[in-house]
Amino acid sequence: MNEDGLDPVIHAPARLRIVVTLAALRDGDDLSFTRLQELIGLTPGNLITHLRKLEDAGYVTAEKNGSGVTARTSVALTLAGRAALERYTTALRQLLDSASSRLLSPHRQQGKRRLGAPRAPTALLPRAPSA
Amino acid sequence: MNEQAGTTGAGMGEAAGGDDGTTMGVADAAVIMQEASDRARRQLRVSHRATFTIWGLGLLLGYGSIWLTVRGQQPFHGLPPATFAVGALLSSASIMTGVAQAQADSGVGGLSAVRQRIHLLAVLAGFAAMFALEGALAHTGASRSVIGVFEASAPVLVAGLFYFTTSAVWLDWPVLGLGIWLLVVAAVGGFAGPSGVWAVDALAAGLAYLLMAAIEPRLRPS
Repeated sequence: MNEDGLDPVIHAPARLRIVVTLAALRDGDDLSFTRLQELIGLTPGNLITHLRKLEDAGYVTAEKNGSGVTARTSVALTLAGRAALERYTTALRQLLDSASSRLLSPHRQQGKRRLGAPRAPTALLPRAPSA
Repeated sequence: MNEQAGTTGAGMGEAAGGDDGTTMGVADAAVIMQEASDRARRQLRVSHRATFTIWGLGLLLGYGSIWLTVRGQQPFHGLPPATFAVGALLSSASIMTGVAQAQADSGVGGLSAVRQRIHLLAVLAGFAAMFALEGALAHTGASRSVIGVFEASAPVLVAGLFYFTTSAVWLDWPVLGLGIWLLVVAAVGGFAGPSGVWAVDALAAGLAYLLMAAIEPRLRPS
């Protein structure tokens, strides 16, 4: 875990996209490797590298079914992966909230009302993935 | 590699180095999460628009054509059974193809795909039971008028039950509405008689399907 509480396995752009994309699936569902690659926009080699890191952490499973032209590799988020994403989202929200407070506090101390003061984009965060 | 979030967010200096060689701030992470979540929800859902369109046109044109054929028949002698069977089989095949294609395009497998296959089997079993029942009706001496009403209403009834149960599995309220509507059409349409039922079902059920096809993208969560 980083000192800011963010899981370093998830806190990388490509892996964050992978985990969030897989979290959008229903429980028990998986996604084909090809489709995941389309959605994330990575080369197969890069995607495999990131998936391996997530798999080593126990956050995703990758399973190959069939052989030859019918072979299909499917990727799914594990329960541990879903829980890790929830923790990551919570930590991220707290960091954004505290950053927002720091930005706004000097204006409060000076008794000034600053219109259009920057707000932390907590609203951007998707809702915590449902289990 | 498409790493867009190489900079820290404005004013959010909580940057952390990713081990893929990029630096990502917390604001960047929030933006990435939102974008990835939106994109996944939009692109991973299975669209039934094609199936709704096929059914809508099938009912509107197929049932409409049958109505043009049988209206004014005195006495009513209906359709040749083979015509009805071929039409129903073609409809089943088109549904299966449409659903299977939509599923494959989405790339989603696992439990959802299994549920979808079981639902398809339910439709096929429903149609098979319908044919058997029609045979039983004919065997027991039911008139052509009774069989005519059955031939028009039973497929709509099967479809209505299919959508009703589908909505229970997925908690899909628009599909529940379609299921209820089809059951109402199946129940009430027969009162229009063995000829009129084809016109009633063509319009009431066919247009409902086409309406669903038109509004489906807007009814789903974005």
